[in-house]
Amino acid sequence: MICRELIAVLDEYLDGTLVPDVVIDLERHLAVCDPCRAYLATYRKTRELGARVGDVPMPEEMTTRLRALLVARLGNQRES
Amino acid sequence: MSTDDRELLGRVITGDAGALETLMARHSARVYRLAYGITRSAPDAEEVVQDVFLQIIDKGGGFEGRSALSSWIYRITTNLSLNKRRGKRRELETSLDEMLPTFLPDGHRAGDRAFVVADWSRTPDAALLSGEARRVLEAALDRLPDHYRAVLVLKDVEELSNEEVAQAVGDTVAAVKTRLHRARMALREQLTRHLGAGT
Repeated sequence: MICRELIAVLDEYLDGTLVPDVVIDLERHLAVCDPCRAYLATYRKTRELGARVGDVPMPEEMTTRLRALLVARLGNQRES
Repeated sequence: MSTDDRELLGRVITGDAGALETLMARHSARVYRLAYGITRSAPDAEEVVQDVFLQIIDKGGGFEGRSALSSWIYRITTNLSLNKRRGKRRELETSLDEMLPTFLPDGHRAGDRAFVVADWSRTPDAALLSGEARRVLEAALDRLPDHYRAVLVLKDVEELSNEEVAQAVGDTVAAVKTRLHRARMALREQLTRHLGAGT
């Protein structure tokens, strides 16, 4: 396995969905390739960071505003 | 769909405000999180949340009950968010190819040795999620093409399976997996270009 091939299947490696023979090849390559070890570590960390940054709470005042608007809309619809 | 959600939806259609508030309490946070993740704009995300619940009020928005209400909500939230983005902020998006790793003809990584072995993964999270690193990550997310960002948020933030993501975006599992991997590689590349020198 070469670097290009390893990086192409990195996602599946981390998800544990690669077939055993490919995992063996990949880990053999990782053992001797500093750039691919660095790539794996930073790729894995990027997945974590993306999840953390995306965990955006809905502002409380927005929740209150939307609840009032939608409840009013529901009431209007019932009357019409 | 859980009986509870089905019952609440039925009550909303008949005008029950309490049922609507319960559905909002249960689902609005995830609708907002997904809408913000795709649109990258709080006002746009607020409009999406509003539109999703308006669809629910309007006779369930065509929901047929064959899947969980949450799956249906993910699908309409994704569609409405992508529609919001249509024609907006295109100037921020760069070609994804410019954000992917490059290789030598023999298949080894191209670039300076210091760059290709840069490992910033042990930098404390507090440093990675604040200041310049945070800014770089947010900018890299902004630059991703919309459909790539959508699968990234659905998978990594909402933690859906590849099959559920495919259902939400209306694409194949294979296409979702490819887009997801390219999106993650693009983010990693941007972070490494900014953080690599210091590691």
